[in-house]
Amino acid sequence: MNGAGGPGDQAASDPRAPAEHAVPTAGPPSGVALRIDHMSKTFPGTRALDDVCFEIRSGEIHALVGGNGSGKSTLIKILAGVYHADPGGSITVGDTTVAADHTTPAKARAMGLHFVHQNPGVFPALSVAENMVIGHGFDTRAGGSIKWRALRRQTQALLDRYEIQVRPETLVRALRPAERAMVAIARALQDQEGQHTGVLVLDEPTASLPRAEVVRLMGALNRFAAAGQTILFVSHRLDEVIDTAAQATVLRDGRLAGTLVGDGITEAKLIELIAGRALDHMYPAMPPVQSDEIVLEAKGLRGGPLAGVDFQLRRGEVLGIAGLLGSGRSELLKMIFGAYPIRSGALEFEGRPVKLRDIGDAMDLGIAYVPEDRSGEAAFLDQTLADNVVASSVGRYWRALRLRTRAMEADARSIIQTYFIRASSERQKMGTLSGGNQQKVIVARWLSRNPRVLLLDEPTQGVDVNARAEIYQLIRSAVEKGCSVLLVSSDFEELSHVADRAIVLRGGRVGAELRGADIEAVRLTELAFSTQEVAS
Amino acid sequence: MSVVADAPAGEGGTTGGAPGLENPGKAVRSESRERLLEFIERYALVVLFIATFVFFSLWSKTSGTFPHSQNIKNVLGNEAVTGILALAIMIPLVCGEFDFSVGNTAGLTQVLCAGFMARLGMPVALAVLIPIGIGAFIGLANGNTVARVGVNSLIVTLGISSVLLGIVEWYTGGQSIINNISTGLINLGSGQWFGLPRTIYYLAAAAIAVHYMLEHTPFGRYLYSIGSNRDAARLVGLPVERYVLLAFTLSGALAGVAGVLLVAYNGTGSPQVGTILDTLQALAAAYLGATAIKPGRFNVLGTMIAIFFLAYTVTGLSLAGVADWINNVFDGGALFLAVLVSTIIGRRRAGTA
Repeated sequence: MNGAGGPGDQAASDPRAPAEHAVPTAGPPSGVALRIDHMSKTFPGTRALDDVCFEIRSGEIHALVGGNGSGKSTLIKILAGVYHADPGGSITVGDTTVAADHTTPAKARAMGLHFVHQNPGVFPALSVAENMVIGHGFDTRAGGSIKWRALRRQTQALLDRYEIQVRPETLVRALRPAERAMVAIARALQDQEGQHTGVLVLDEPTASLPRAEVVRLMGALNRFAAAGQTILFVSHRLDEVIDTAAQATVLRDGRLAGTLVGDGITEAKLIELIAGRALDHMYPAMPPVQSDEIVLEAKGLRGGPLAGVDFQLRRGEVLGIAGLLGSGRSELLKMIFGAYPIRSGALEFEGRPVKLRDIGDAMDLGIAYVPEDRSGEAAFLDQTLADNVVASSVGRYWRALRLRTRAMEADARSIIQTYFIRASSERQKMGTLSGGNQQKVIVARWLSRNPRVLLLDEPTQGVDVNARAEIYQLIRSAVEKGCSVLLVSSDFEELSHVADRAIVLRGGRVGAELRGADIEAVRLTELAFSTQEVAS
Repeated sequence: MSVVADAPAGEGGTTGGAPGLENPGKAVRSESRERLLEFIERYALVVLFIATFVFFSLWSKTSGTFPHSQNIKNVLGNEAVTGILALAIMIPLVCGEFDFSVGNTAGLTQVLCAGFMARLGMPVALAVLIPIGIGAFIGLANGNTVARVGVNSLIVTLGISSVLLGIVEWYTGGQSIINNISTGLINLGSGQWFGLPRTIYYLAAAAIAVHYMLEHTPFGRYLYSIGSNRDAARLVGLPVERYVLLAFTLSGALAGVAGVLLVAYNGTGSPQVGTILDTLQALAAAYLGATAIKPGRFNVLGTMIAIFFLAYTVTGLSLAGVADWINNVFDGGALFLAVLVSTIIGRRRAGTA
């Protein structure tokens, strides 16, 4: 890939990147499992895909990467038969070729394409076992009654094969989001077991998974690929692409930006292809912590999964919080925001003990909170961007018995400018923005109040590379103004670059603390795993 | 490529230009198409309203009676109560809750207002204010169960509406309360001001008040935010429970106003009036109204247009000699269609994302 398509702005769209032949992977059948030829898709006003060609070799894990709006979801939806491509393209699986403008879900299934979408289509009210067979129908006896015992046994075997630690009779509702995703993936995998054609397509399977479970899931995918199956997965997480994928195809602005192979898949190369330019400062240089003044101190916080958490946060400091799902990371932030009951323990704000009765108390102290679940807990998707920015402070525009809508919108406009939000106007509906821009709106909502403590829960999850870099910049400029940040993240690379200090939550307590240069992704991963062993 | 190329934007006429040049033209074109669609969405109900009005004015079966000023005024006067009930049901709808008890609350406050005057000889002011207060209390009780305890509002208010119906039966013994109702109150409900029935002014006042509250006060904006995403509203520090409680209380109070207005307008307190059917009419108007003016959002102007669209259509049909049962079919059908259309609009909007 060296010197090939990358730098020249648009010239990179040559269909088969040279790199594809550069490192011939030894081993499994070198046949092509899926080939996409000249696929284009035009929406009113935009060209979502422009003459995209690439192929996926069988028995390999192939990553599909790109920023928001790069066309990857469109491509997946065409494969799934949800969208029809423009005439002229084709999709080939094994030796079946289908015109890309005539795909249907039924054809996709018949060709052997199996999908797990970002929002796994599992049924919360049904058991794991029922979820497994729901697409196929139940095995019944002569009288029509379901063979429950056989079903449970088969499901258990399937779960064992993929090392998913849930019980067949558990209701999916009771599972953690990570486990739900794994159940959905196992359900799709079972269709493909024993077949040697077909492709399993995973659309951001790890978007909601914590790091440790990502590793386990990727392990399962590796075993599956080793057994001769082919997997195409869409991801925003570059580290998992680097660790897992045999090839990575990058889309940018609807065009093929390039394909990387094997050891050629590096973070720098991926970012360059995704962004179209070298992002030399993906992570901005964070200013050193200027003062020793302690803004926030937790003393023995208990409640929910937390069994006594202590930490101190200094002015202008970014304190990273690592830990597994269920370690209480999110609950800790909610406690500090007055949104989760504190059973015992004390919080001190600027040296004074505080009791948070509700969120209003926390906000009065200048605490701000960006939740993990953007669409569920932060965004008002059917409201305008301006409404979303001022969500908590409409009262400020209430003067002389009228809402000063114009002032509100003017403020929203300047916020769009300041916070790098890409939107047509402040009246654009939140739901029509890309994930990265929505996240910037949420961050702007809080930063525009000049908070003294900013609580961030996975602020860059599901956000493309460019928006991520911009969010880091926003964090930096807040820190420069003296804001202190608690940053919960499953992305240990992110913690190592952005945080001044990091604590690892273990068994409901602070299990380890790393400072400055000691915060390394590898070290954090180790700690996270040791945490898990201690816990189980 | 062909799809883009065969639709030149008209200006410039660059055939086969760089893709960078084609796209802006396309974007402008689709934006104007988008704007046209939005315009149609906004005013479809208004146009439909005008069209039915014109139709009944010209149709030979109704042209003699329908466009007559007396008929037009009658309908205006008649709809004040339904209109206020629609406003009442709208307030909880904005924050994502149902209040199915508004019709029966109006029914109860109506017989209480009449009964207080007829049986207890209460002064008019008290006989008006106490039932409105009782309406507010019913709303408060609903809201408390919904907001603080977290019970599904549909079930709560449906249950309460049946309870209220029972209380009305008990209080009236199934008989209308006719005697000793203050003539002053009846005058307020039956006369005219500037050639229009007085009740329509009350509706206008209530509509303006609710519109102002929803659109021009922080409280109203926060109600919309709560309706849009309750968890997010809580996490930006809005006192969600208190606002939902308040929404129900206001809804109940407005239903109480509708009940008093019923006495003023009809001159009686009747156990037959103010039922779940009135709730359904109000619901139909609110949902139909949410497809107009500000599509996808419950709004007062849309609701008012919907009220009169439904009323004039039903009147036109009955003047044409269509049997009475058509009323219920029509109101129910309108509710059904309104929910259908607003869902489709919502889906289309999500699709453009």
